[in-house]
Amino acid sequence: MAYCNFTLEVVRREFQLEIVESAGIFSEVSTVVPQDHFMAELEEKVELAISSGTEKARSELIVTDVLFQLREHFNRRISFFSGIEFSVDTEQGLTGICDFLVSLSPILSFLEAPVIILVEAKRENLTTGFGQCAAEMIAAQRFNKEKGNDIPHIYGATTSGTEWRFLKLEGVRLHIDRAVYPIAQCDKILGILSSMVEQKV
Amino acid sequence: MAYSNFTFETVRKTFQLETDEAADISSGIAPMALSEYLTTTLARKVPLALAIGTEKASSELIVADILVELREKFEHRISFFSGIDFSVDAESGLTGVCDFLISLSPTQFHLEAPIVVLVEAKKDNPVLGFGQCVAEMLAAQRFNAERGNDLPWIYGAATTGTVWQFLKLEARKLYIDRAVYSIGQCDKILGILASMVEQKA
Repeated sequence: MAYCNFTLEVVRREFQLEIVESAGIFSEVSTVVPQDHFMAELEEKVELAISSGTEKARSELIVTDVLFQLREHFNRRISFFSGIEFSVDTEQGLTGICDFLVSLSPILSFLEAPVIILVEAKRENLTTGFGQCAAEMIAAQRFNKEKGNDIPHIYGATTSGTEWRFLKLEGVRLHIDRAVYPIAQCDKILGILSSMVEQKV
Repeated sequence: MAYSNFTFETVRKTFQLETDEAADISSGIAPMALSEYLTTTLARKVPLALAIGTEKASSELIVADILVELREKFEHRISFFSGIDFSVDAESGLTGVCDFLISLSPTQFHLEAPIVVLVEAKKDNPVLGFGQCVAEMLAAQRFNAERGNDLPWIYGAATTGTVWQFLKLEARKLYIDRAVYSIGQCDKILGILASMVEQKA
């Protein structure tokens, strides 16, 4: 058992989550305008990512740049990790590799608490990433707690690069935002990610 | 059997390759100036990729941006693909997913001959990518021939993102460049990739 084996149904049962589907949890968040060069490159990269069509291309060409922008926005006071092993509780299946993970610590050489956003990349159907993402969010909750660095909310995103959906975990309550944000609204997407880092939503 | 199962030794034996392990492929190639965007972006992303230390992060933060720039230098007359399935001959083990692949066709929506450069990313040591890269180069040779679009040379690059080494295949003769380039010489790396696209290396 590992993160990638969890469906939303299984994760709900195993960890007794209360799932709340709600509209527009993040709709009021203000936008964050990305740097000019990001915007200049984005169009071409989106086109390339769509045509290669793989999760790898989408991660490389879009998701990485968005998270990189997020880190720049916070003047590198946060860290992000890509493809690292994040094993927290093998017995419960909270083990495996996370696509992307954002921590509030500026340290890059190793992962330090608190982990705040887990991003799961998917080739197309974003809902298929919910189970895996939620399992990683639960793992982050435990990881932070064990390190004495509890934060009230852990956030998640599932994304194809071109579309983004967001999650929020509060205790055992998992909020799933019904809204889907296209990359054309990347200022909104960056705004939402920023508000997560700031623990404002 | 798939590309990833080939070591340098098994690929050499299986396909009866003649090898020159200290060839000079690149010394005479002129560097190619980097765009301002790539210079700035690499200055920021390379330290991040090094700190994260995964193959995924290096591919996302370094390799993808260099290949996007290469495509821009050729004004989109070439295509590149990331993470696509490239299965050519299952019986011979020429099957699997390629990290990056460059074709001389401008079509970006599906892979079209002739494939010219295969790029294999490795976490620690580019040499560990030679077997896999060469198997992919042989597959590209067949793929091109089957489509009546033969090229005399197929090229390869094995890279950690920060360290690059180049290969060249001419029928059954494989040349391994004696030089190893670091990302600090990115203009040279870009120049080499460009001359491969032009079939001049």
